[in-house]
Amino acid sequence: MHEGAVLAEEHEFSVGQLTRVEGEGRLHLTVDRSGKVDAQLRIFEAPRYFERIVVGRHPDEVLDIVARICGICPVAYQMSAVHAFESLFEVQVDPAVRVLRRLLYCGEWIESHALHIFMLHAPDFLGYASALEMAADHRELVERALRIKKLGNRIVAIVGGRAIHPVSPRVGGFSRSPRASELEELRAPLAAALDEAVASVALVAGLETPPSDRDARLVALRHPSEYPMNDGRIVSSDGIDLAPGAWRDAFHEDQVPWSHALQAHAADGVPYLLGPTARLALSSDRLHPTAAAALAATGLSVEEIRRNVFRSIVARAVELVHALAEAQDIVAGYRRPEVTLTPWQPRAGVAAWATEAPRGLLFHRYEVDEGGHVTAAQIVPPTSQNQAAIEHDLELFAPAVLDLPHAEATLRLEQLIRSYDPCISCATHFLKVRIDRE
Amino acid sequence: MGGPTTGRRPRVGVVKLASCDGCQLTLLDLEDELLAIGERFDLVEFPEATSRRSLGPFDVLLVEGSVSTPEQVEQITELREKTRLLATIGACATAGGIQAMRNWADEPEWRASVYPSPDVIESLPTSKPVADYVTVDAELRGCPIDPHQLLELLTALRVGRRPQLPDEAVCLECKRQGRVCVLVAGATACLGPLTQTGCGALCPGYARGCYACFGPREEANVDSLSRWIGDDRPAAAVDRLFAGFTAWSAPFRPSAARAAEGFAGTKPLETAAGAAHEEHGDA
Amino acid sequence: MVTAAPEAIFLPRERLDALLDLLREGGRTVIGPTVQDGNLVLDEIGTAADLPAGWRDEQEPGRYRLTDGHGDRVFDVVNGQLSWKRYTYPARQEVGRMERQADGSVSFAATPPDPPRLAFLGVRACELAALGIHDRVLAGGTFVDEDYRARREAALVVAVQCTRAGRGCFCTSMGTGPEVRSGHDLVLTELDEGFLVEAGTPAGERLLARVPGRKATAWEAGAATAAVATVRAEIGDPVAADGLRDRLMDKLDSPRWAEIADRCLACANCTMVCPTCFCTTTTVSSDLDGRVNTTERTWDSCFTVGFAKVAGGNFRPKREDRYRQWLTHKFATWVDQFGTYGCVGCGRCVTWCPVGIDVRAELAAIAPPASPPERAPSRPAAATPGRFDVARLIASSPETSDTTSLRLAPGDPALLAGLPGQFVMVERPGFPSLPISVSRFGTDELVLTVRAVGPATTGLIAEAPGAEIGLRGPLGRPWPIDRALGRDLVIVTGGIGLAPLRPAIDAVLADRERFGDVLLAYGARTPSDRLFRDELERWSRSGIEVAQIVDRAEAGWSGRVGVVSQLLETRDFGKRPTIAFVCGPERMMQATVGVLRDHGVPAERCWVSMERHMQCGIGLCGHCQMGPYFVCRDGPVFSVAELGELFGREGI
Repeated sequence: MHEGAVLAEEHEFSVGQLTRVEGEGRLHLTVDRSGKVDAQLRIFEAPRYFERIVVGRHPDEVLDIVARICGICPVAYQMSAVHAFESLFEVQVDPAVRVLRRLLYCGEWIESHALHIFMLHAPDFLGYASALEMAADHRELVERALRIKKLGNRIVAIVGGRAIHPVSPRVGGFSRSPRASELEELRAPLAAALDEAVASVALVAGLETPPSDRDARLVALRHPSEYPMNDGRIVSSDGIDLAPGAWRDAFHEDQVPWSHALQAHAADGVPYLLGPTARLALSSDRLHPTAAAALAATGLSVEEIRRNVFRSIVARAVELVHALAEAQDIVAGYRRPEVTLTPWQPRAGVAAWATEAPRGLLFHRYEVDEGGHVTAAQIVPPTSQNQAAIEHDLELFAPAVLDLPHAEATLRLEQLIRSYDPCISCATHFLKVRIDRE
Repeated sequence: MGGPTTGRRPRVGVVKLASCDGCQLTLLDLEDELLAIGERFDLVEFPEATSRRSLGPFDVLLVEGSVSTPEQVEQITELREKTRLLATIGACATAGGIQAMRNWADEPEWRASVYPSPDVIESLPTSKPVADYVTVDAELRGCPIDPHQLLELLTALRVGRRPQLPDEAVCLECKRQGRVCVLVAGATACLGPLTQTGCGALCPGYARGCYACFGPREEANVDSLSRWIGDDRPAAAVDRLFAGFTAWSAPFRPSAARAAEGFAGTKPLETAAGAAHEEHGDA
Repeated sequence: MVTAAPEAIFLPRERLDALLDLLREGGRTVIGPTVQDGNLVLDEIGTAADLPAGWRDEQEPGRYRLTDGHGDRVFDVVNGQLSWKRYTYPARQEVGRMERQADGSVSFAATPPDPPRLAFLGVRACELAALGIHDRVLAGGTFVDEDYRARREAALVVAVQCTRAGRGCFCTSMGTGPEVRSGHDLVLTELDEGFLVEAGTPAGERLLARVPGRKATAWEAGAATAAVATVRAEIGDPVAADGLRDRLMDKLDSPRWAEIADRCLACANCTMVCPTCFCTTTTVSSDLDGRVNTTERTWDSCFTVGFAKVAGGNFRPKREDRYRQWLTHKFATWVDQFGTYGCVGCGRCVTWCPVGIDVRAELAAIAPPASPPERAPSRPAAATPGRFDVARLIASSPETSDTTSLRLAPGDPALLAGLPGQFVMVERPGFPSLPISVSRFGTDELVLTVRAVGPATTGLIAEAPGAEIGLRGPLGRPWPIDRALGRDLVIVTGGIGLAPLRPAIDAVLADRERFGDVLLAYGARTPSDRLFRDELERWSRSGIEVAQIVDRAEAGWSGRVGVVSQLLETRDFGKRPTIAFVCGPERMMQATVGVLRDHGVPAERCWVSMERHMQCGIGLCGHCQMGPYFVCRDGPVFSVAELGELFGREGI
């Protein structure tokens, strides 16, 4: 029986828990008689009230706590928080500490991007349920992915103590910095992974994608000289330009009744897109030469990547090259910080900053009393900012697949959602797909 | 035992409750062993990694996260019935996690302070360990769990022996590694003597005190260590050490409760002061 | 007294690197004290500049601080947390590999020692004494830790005389320092302008002849002696060591133990930092299929909850039991085992206790000085061989619902030459070692009777005929069959306890006329829980009186119901010299021994087989310690008189 026909009668489409995303969410589509689709991304991740848990805590406790919002990108949470506090307390860290933080962030990007490109997203293009099943036919590809991912984890572990929920980042620097000799083990794997990542850019650029054309507003940090990670101004493809702590000047969060996640919107209500595609489009001139060359070799323009939602995998692969190349440079020129931990004094005020998590802009804002205790907090993860854009893209894309058999339609819709690498664990503060037709 | 594909592969599920996904990610982080594990265990349910789904039955179910919503209570109860060996993984599942701090709070008030429409949020007033609801056969501690311990659990399951998961203080591993005690030599408050090992004595190796993410070991003498480190610290500073990722564990609960009272007493910032420093980051 | 021998050489401070170069000859690495990230550690010393010049320590119970800027002396900082043990007896050491091939065959290979060539620079008198103690414990008995011995032989020891005392020091009381007297190749005494260098061994003398200095003056020699004498005076005599062994053993019931337990964290730091603590645990790690297995020896501690645990319970369940075990071992039972105290007075356990428990104060409180010292004689180590062999499982046959007998054909005939009461360590890839009593020594096979109490024993029982199983042994002290010759023998046991006694019964039956009356009193939960039921019948027809009793009767049972000691209550063993062999749970043995005593069998002739947590089987890992004994090596068979007060006592 052709399920699409039944759906047309029942006006309803439902997909169970979204898989190969971090956290729990569902998709709910409502199709009216004209065929117009209304998409609702439902995040049913259990709320954990992080903004309240940090109240009463000292800044260093906050770094440990906010890491636990997400096991995939804990470094991002620690980095947004650490910069927020250091900007309020006017802490000048040793320049070598800044470099070491970038290395830590590179490690997380490498781990997270390798996980998503090969383990979560590639099976969609190649027609497998998981990387483990894909390994039966593409063992070398999966082994490559695991090698690169392992390297990212290793970087985070050397700098931060462990791959998940690192322990060394502190306000003022690090509790301990690695000796140059401890980074030596990274040299050979970095060189090997970089070659494999460059080859991967060509591979993912060659993947067949469903047709897609969109013109999303892009938002990311932009830095005068660096590819954006820890630092830069919040800019958009249509002229927003803000200090990294001033996110609230152009954006706000609200709650939609169908989700446990708060959604972020621009003041004008136009959905916006964060993450690798946005960063690449806004800062391609800041790519490491090795990453720029890998992109150029694909023959794809940045414009082609940004207009096709499914090409985000190419942007992610280019960023993977960037992170590996930058990590390689940092390791080659590493100098142990003279001052690993700069002493600081708390002051009352608002500590706010945004950094680039692997999935996009991550904004933190803390109100702090004179003793340094947090009195109120706001944490805006990338997925809750992307949610409106995902729903918007689903509404554009869904009509083309709704008449397909249910399983295939679900797969296509999930593939689209996975293009955003949504992290639902973060967003609570994300999917079953269900379609109602009126 | 036998070759990788001899015999029926055990049906393994990996599910989550309230958590950050870090502990189940640890399975994917066993990069050197993951493919071999996939050949020896049938990962029938692992939504983070595979689109193939199963409602059970499971030979082994790894449960991440704490029980914090009415659905999770139903979910874990149903899963338990379909599972032969249920192992909880991580501080959330074994101790309630950092989100158990709500157990001392007015949960509706917390909900209202984070969500503009608190009514659509379904949540229990408490976040509790899985063992409070169903029988647990094995547990891996830690926030997150240690990859070596996860591999040991899987290996032991396959070989048919007990997993070697020592219940001893972090101090033993710290000393075996030749790390100099941060508490004795550095006056750093360290919960290592009270905390179950498994992390590889991580924090002291990074010049920090242990913050007990593996939770209390058997016979944690909380009173004695608290008296000692309280000699040159305010009592509140000692209590808050226990208000971390295993705060709801029985030995730490009294100290964490006092700390929670202190956190609740934090006064909101004066709006004026907030506004004065709102614009930041142009540096 | 330190006397500067005429051949003492003065090495000017600026020539210290020349000495380091000498030490490095032949590819040695020099290890010594150095400050890293603000902590005093032991690590490679590249040049003299790596030594902690101008650093000093401040030590108090539970507190250690380093300060610098105190001139240019390099050995002014007394002991840090780390001891030389980590180089001679590493915290983690691979001891063997075991592999199971696809065809089921197993192989075991001991990891050969591969000691690094090291020169230890800056070893103090207390630490030399600690090395001496380890030489006795690990390399001076019947069983030798080969890795330890190789590491010791490969190391060059350059000692240093203490010219500053730490607040935790009490070497003076323990008779180990501060003067360096023996155990060193070279010894340095640091003076303002340089070092007095003396030799302690021929190897040291050869080095000394090439030390680029001049002959020391009498003044320099005098200054060196005076400096060490000052340290002696400064430390005083904080621990009344004379007679301490007996005073302490008299205080096993002191209320102080519970008070200490209130403070003690049982965190094991004292044992980890102790230079003489040698207890280890053996862990087996394997690949996912249990094929390739690595056995590692890891530092363990009598303070961990699991240290004295066996399947049925914990011999030292309380924190006070464990503190008492540690302290009485160091200052009492060590003397019984090895002829010296187990403490060298380095003070590390005092300084590095996270809650500042001071062993000096606790000793004074528990066992204040009173009586003159009385040294217990050291015990000769029991002589039993220890080797690994692969045996093949011939057949297994169930004895009861949970107990199975395994017939094994060992490759090495030495295993068949074991004596009644001895046990073997059973090794299976992927599983921890299991101590199992041999229940029969046949002409070409031995029998193990195993009760399923956990995964390891359940798995062992489930092995199919033809399976290869690793065995080490036979180990332990056997039943004293020779002492029963010409005497009446009473054998009392319950349940599985009959298994280790069957070889004794076999021995008696093989030579029946050389023994007097022989009684086997056997108790079991139910009639079907009795082992070797057909043999019980046979024995009673072969000149052994077999009396049986069960807790609960079953259909068809017409025998007695009750506990095993009831079988003895009507007897009089006082008429003729009678010897008793008893095996069962400790409580049952205690009750039985009481009845035997009341009916004429004195403690000296009453022999029991003790159960403890055995891991290595050769008295080197420390798990099975019971007072002055390691049960695996000195037992498991003891006379009740040997055990004295320890028998039946909880928490030991």
